[in-house]
Amino acid sequence: MQLKAGRDGDDRNDSAGRAILMAALALPGLIGVAGAAHADSAPEQGSISLNYLDYRDWQPGLDRIKVHTPAIDVLAPVAGVWAVQASLVSDIISGASPRYHTAISGASSMSDHRVAEDVGLTRYFPQGTINAGFAHSGENDYQSRAFSFGGSLSTEDKNTTGHAGIGVSNDTINPVNQVVNDAKKHTLELMLGVTQILTQNDIVQADLGHVIEQGYLSDPYKFLDNRPDERSRNTLLLRWNHHFEGSDGTGRFSYRYYTDTWEIRAHTFAFEYVQPFSQGWTVTPSARYYTQSAASFYFDPDYDPNYGPPVPLGYVFGSVSSPDQRLSAFGAATLGLKVEKAVARDVQISFKFEQYEQRCDWRLFGSGSPGLAPLYARVLQLGIVKTW
Amino acid sequence: MHVRAALIAALAVAGVSGCSVEAVKPWQKGTLARSEMNIEGAKPETRFDEHIYTSREAAAGGASVGGGGCGCN
Repeated sequence: MQLKAGRDGDDRNDSAGRAILMAALALPGLIGVAGAAHADSAPEQGSISLNYLDYRDWQPGLDRIKVHTPAIDVLAPVAGVWAVQASLVSDIISGASPRYHTAISGASSMSDHRVAEDVGLTRYFPQGTINAGFAHSGENDYQSRAFSFGGSLSTEDKNTTGHAGIGVSNDTINPVNQVVNDAKKHTLELMLGVTQILTQNDIVQADLGHVIEQGYLSDPYKFLDNRPDERSRNTLLLRWNHHFEGSDGTGRFSYRYYTDTWEIRAHTFAFEYVQPFSQGWTVTPSARYYTQSAASFYFDPDYDPNYGPPVPLGYVFGSVSSPDQRLSAFGAATLGLKVEKAVARDVQISFKFEQYEQRCDWRLFGSGSPGLAPLYARVLQLGIVKTW
Repeated sequence: MHVRAALIAALAVAGVSGCSVEAVKPWQKGTLARSEMNIEGAKPETRFDEHIYTSREAAAGGASVGGGGCGCN
C-alpha cells in the first residue's frame, strides 16, 4: 500500500516534469534538430554549403595527382514532412599515374574534368522515413548513373532505428587509349543497419553492406591489369559517438571491416574529437588507420629477366593479374585538424587539413607487399555553411 | 564465413545496446541533437574523404548506398 502510494506520487511528479519539458521541447527548432541526430524527423532549417577541396599526392621522385574540387550542397525542408537535398561537384584533375607498381618511368600523364550531381528526396513519417536518390558522375572517359532507395523505422521511443537501402549503378568506360570501348560496369549495393541511443551522451550504429560489381573492373591505364569481371564486397561498419560532459567535447569512433572475393581484407579505425570553445570556435583533431591485404591476383615487382618490367616472373599472357599499388598489401595513416568558426548566428566557416601516408611496412595482421614506394597525400578543405 | 561473423557482430551490438540500459526519454535528447552527435557526419566533408580513400585504397563503402562510380585512377 505504502509502496503503491509512493509510486503514484512519483508518477505525478514525473508527468508534471514531462509536461514542462515537452513544452520546452516544442519551442521552434528544438524538436526538428533533436530528430537530426538519428534522422527520424524532417529538418526544420534549410542550408546551403560551399566547399572547396585541394588535394595532391606524391611519391618520392614523382608528383602524382592534383585535384581541385569546388562543391555546392543544398538541403531544403518542404511542407514539414519532406526534405530535398542536391549537390553539384566539379573535380579538376591533373598529374601523372604510374603504369605499374610505383614505377616513375613511363608514368601516364593525365588531365580530366569530372562533374558529379546528385539529388535526394526524403519523406518523414512519425515512425520512419522513405528516401530516393539519383546520382550522376561524368568524365570524358567514364560515365556513371546511380539510383538508390531506402527507408528507416523507429521504435515508439525513437531510441532504436533500423534502416535499409538498395542502390544500383550503371557505368560506361571509354578510356582515351581505347583498350576497351563502351565497357560496362554494373553495381548492386545492399545495406542494413541499426542505430541505437544508449544514453543521453551515447549513440551507436552498426551497418552491414553487401555490394556486387560486374563487368569491366580493370584499370585501363595500367599495364597487365586484367581483373576478374565480378567482385562481391562485404562491410561491417560500427560507429559510436560519445559526448564528454566535463569538457563539452564529443568523441566519434568508427571501425570498418571489409572483405571481398578478390581476397582483400581491410580494417579501418577512425577517431575524431570535436571540442567547442567560446565565441563560436570548434577544433577537431582526427586520426585514421587503415590496413589491407593484397588481392589474390596482385603481383609483386619481381620481373621476368627476359621481358623486363612490368612482366612478372612466370607470367602467363592473358591471365588475371594486376600491378596496381591499390591492390597490394599496405597500411595507411591519416592525421587531420579541422577548425570551425560560427561567424554569425546562421553562418559557419571551416578549414580542414589532412596528411595521409601509405606504406607497405605499416600493414597490420601480416607483411606488406615488397618493392613499392610510399604514397603521400595532403588534403585541404574550406567550407562555408549558411542555414535559414 | 565472414558474412556470418559480421552478422553475428552486428546482432551482438544491436542486442547489447537494446537491452542493457534504461531508455532515454525525449526530453533527455538535447545533447544527442547537437550536430557533432550526428552519427553520419557532415555530408560534404564525408563525401570528399570517402572519394579520396576510394581512389587510393581497395576497400570502400559501408556507410551508404547509391553514390555511383568514377574512373578515379
